[in-house]
Amino acid sequence: MRVIIFTWEYPPRIVGQLAEYTSSLSTQLVKNNVETYLVTYHPYMTGVTEEPNGVKIVRVANSVRTHIGVLTWVLTLNQEVERAAANIYYQAGKAVDVVDVYDWHFIPAAVTLKNALGIPFVYSVDSLEDHRSHEANMPFNMAIKSIEWLGFYESAVVTAKSEWMRDEIVRIYKTPKEKIQVVSPTSKTWIDDMLKVYAQAAGGAAKT
Amino acid sequence: MFLTWEFPPRVIGGISPHVFYLSKSLAKNGVKVHVVTCDFPGAPARETLDGVEVYRVDSYKNPSPDFATWVYLMNLNMQKEAAAIAAKLPEKIDVFHAHDWLVATAGIGLKHVFRKPLLVTMHSTEIGRRDGLHTSTEKMISETEAWLTYEAWKVICCSQYMVSHVKWAFGLPDDKLVMVPNGVDWAVYEKVRKHELKDFRTTFASPEEKLVLFVGRLVYEKGAHVLINSIPKILEKVNAKFVIVGSGYMKEQLSTIVKSMGLEHKVLFTGFLDEESLMKLQCSADVSVVPSLFEPFGIVALEAMAAKSPVVVSDTGGLGEIVEHDVTGVKVYPNNVDSLAWGVTKVLTDEKYRNSLREDAYRRIHERYDWDKIAQQTERIYEGVLGEYSKSFWA
Repeated sequence: MRVIIFTWEYPPRIVGQLAEYTSSLSTQLVKNNVETYLVTYHPYMTGVTEEPNGVKIVRVANSVRTHIGVLTWVLTLNQEVERAAANIYYQAGKAVDVVDVYDWHFIPAAVTLKNALGIPFVYSVDSLEDHRSHEANMPFNMAIKSIEWLGFYESAVVTAKSEWMRDEIVRIYKTPKEKIQVVSPTSKTWIDDMLKVYAQAAGGAAKT
Repeated sequence: MFLTWEFPPRVIGGISPHVFYLSKSLAKNGVKVHVVTCDFPGAPARETLDGVEVYRVDSYKNPSPDFATWVYLMNLNMQKEAAAIAAKLPEKIDVFHAHDWLVATAGIGLKHVFRKPLLVTMHSTEIGRRDGLHTSTEKMISETEAWLTYEAWKVICCSQYMVSHVKWAFGLPDDKLVMVPNGVDWAVYEKVRKHELKDFRTTFASPEEKLVLFVGRLVYEKGAHVLINSIPKILEKVNAKFVIVGSGYMKEQLSTIVKSMGLEHKVLFTGFLDEESLMKLQCSADVSVVPSLFEPFGIVALEAMAAKSPVVVSDTGGLGEIVEHDVTGVKVYPNNVDSLAWGVTKVLTDEKYRNSLREDAYRRIHERYDWDKIAQQTERIYEGVLGEYSKSFWA
């Protein structure tokens, strides 16, 4: 199985807990014979590298330097994420089983790749805009929520890290509960659960 | 596949008619054209128009804090829809053709996911529109334009002036730039019912008044204020009515100036006019004035020429290339009230001169600004790009 993980933070660029999480996830995936690519942002360490653990990392920078907010920054960065993912896809003989997207930032790229190339994606939720900016309903927050909604709508499977988060997604976005899988990083079956999600998203056909 | 943020009936500026006529003429020449554009109230989401496949996508799906952010969010949706359309078509899209930065991110993304050449027509630039880059928004837009031209296989501009401007603004190599002029649909002006013009004209000007026409957005770069400031000088020599068509952020300011000059009885602000009235007005005008300070192309001058109205234009940008001084129109110094007043007065006081300008301008339109000829030029560019592409590792 060939998987591409999209995350806006990855070591050495650590913003919150996603960097650490995607790092240990990708390491575990390689150990389970998953060909693992990871596309992330870095302001200058751009290009393709292979980590000692076997994860292939593509770091992209934003082509537009000046921005008026995080939204314009994210929306222009997505084209470089798409370019990196498309390169992986074409170099791998047009075969990527699934894209796993962490939080809302790279949902636009995942949605385009799905519609253009038919690559299904998993939307892995770490946090929601409604929790980060509680009850904020300015256009800025609503725009982020609309991108999150697009992710819930277009994804093949959604993962949440807890039952509570699953219920929150259902409550806020009216996503069908059965579309959301709880995958707890502290569970003993963590990686197995994740692999099941990938297989489910890829249509059950792909095997590790 | 064309990407454009405006397509009739959505008309904001010059891109809409440009894409409309270019796509129709390409279709007539046997090129299959798919136009992906923003939605518009009352316009169908999907239609086939003279052989052109039109798709209108929801452009207000995502709430946006400001215009520039709206553009990128609209692109998110446009790209998603265009990707789905292109993937489902029985035939492959050969070329993505973007019009201006307003569809930059959609165009760049589609190029990479489908690995097909991207072309861009740069109708204007932020640095030109704003006469410099003063805010973060303007810098961001300019950098987006630079990125778009970087990603494009060829950059098409509508005038030699724009070719050199874009080359300077983004540091592009010569062989990446190509000039294809804008065209004008001269045939629609032949359909204007000439016998109605006399009555129509009286609603704007009395018979003894000459009719001076300005058509354009009321924004700084279009220079309506230069025309207004030249009015007293023109009125010294000739009795005229000044009709100003269009709207924009300077509208209030301009009408205040007119009032303070005591010229309310000589200046008429019509606001945005429907197409038929506008064409009738262009056919009725004794002179059409295009006093722009910055004008990448100046399609309004071509329209006036097609309507057989003599033109007075400022010698700037693409306008200066359209008009040959003393032959197809009069060129005056940009942002120069005395020069503009001189040009307008000269045309209005000499009927023989006026008629010779009309005839030569009309002939020039047919020779150089016919959409069929422009579509053929564009098709040759596509063929050239596809020839190069076929030898690349993407093919």
